[in-house]
Amino acid sequence: MSDATRRRLRRLAPWVALGIVVGVALGIGASPGGPPLTVAQRVNGIDTLVRCPSCDGISVADSSASTAVAIRQAVTARVRAGQTDSQIDAFLVSRYGPSILLRPPVRGGTAWVWVLPPVALALAVTSLGTVLWRRRQGVAVTVSTDDRALVQQALARRGAPGGRATEVVRAP
Amino acid sequence: MTITVRDEAGPQAELRHRHTARWVAGAALVVGAALVAVLATRPPATATEVDTPLVGQAAPPITGSTLGGATFRLAALRGRWVVVNFFASWCPPCQQEQPELVAFAYAHRSPGDAALVGIVFDDSASTARGFMRSTGASWPAVVDPGGQIALDYGVRGPPETFFVSPRGTVVAHFDGPMTNASLDYWLARAQGGGA
Repeated sequence: MSDATRRRLRRLAPWVALGIVVGVALGIGASPGGPPLTVAQRVNGIDTLVRCPSCDGISVADSSASTAVAIRQAVTARVRAGQTDSQIDAFLVSRYGPSILLRPPVRGGTAWVWVLPPVALALAVTSLGTVLWRRRQGVAVTVSTDDRALVQQALARRGAPGGRATEVVRAP
Repeated sequence: MTITVRDEAGPQAELRHRHTARWVAGAALVVGAALVAVLATRPPATATEVDTPLVGQAAPPITGSTLGGATFRLAALRGRWVVVNFFASWCPPCQQEQPELVAFAYAHRSPGDAALVGIVFDDSASTARGFMRSTGASWPAVVDPGGQIALDYGVRGPPETFFVSPRGTVVAHFDGPMTNASLDYWLARAQGGGA
């Protein structure tokens, strides 16, 4: 393995390590680990994401309205009956329409609410990476023979006994 | 050094200010009176047809006790048009709607005609019973403890009315107080639709 490759790998290693750590952390965070939820925990989780039908913008969990109480009872009965969260959401939507859910479903016109943030994040990260990478690469400069001659002259003056660094001004 | 601030206009300006104040007060009074008159004489709120997921679907079953103590089953009315009305005695639009429902029920009293059934929404049976009696309502009103019938129909607040076809399909859903004329209009329209 050449020195250049080794240096490049050494430079990349922290980034690779960071990527692995973030990936594992996200994986652990997204996985439904831990003990299974109790009926009350599941009911509360669903109720916080269901809109109280007769209230103004609050969840069933936060309301004591009769419609909210009825939904809480129905959700509890369905959780006890072994229904999944999606099945319970589907039942409520079949009665009240999609607006009953405080969390918009990932389909139709509401899909962009879910798609846009990760897409924007990916674009931002890519743009930032591109800008940083270009800066590291530096700007390619074409050096002419005249430029080289000027540099040689300056170095020669500097190397001469009693010589001083001189600012080289190139004639236009 | 003394600085003297002199009212340039003097008593005449004061008089002018008073006149202006009177005009402003008068104009405010007129505007207020006009607003009250408009609000007091405008027609009462009426029902609007709402598009809910239940329209076109089988009507959720209604089984329960009526305020009179009888057992009610919506399925027993299969073959007839049924108007399902969610109401409460405490709801002003329901109070406004009630005489219209009485007129509708009377007009459709013949056997086999459209049936009207009330569902008590978030109200005590005794209060709802008193409300029905005081308005001369004679149609069955089903008590809904726990609000599960209201939930099955996706009711948000009374009054809400559903038209159920003879085949047991929900064909229309209205939010707000119906009138006798609007009930007849929508019933005729639904019957014409062949649902």
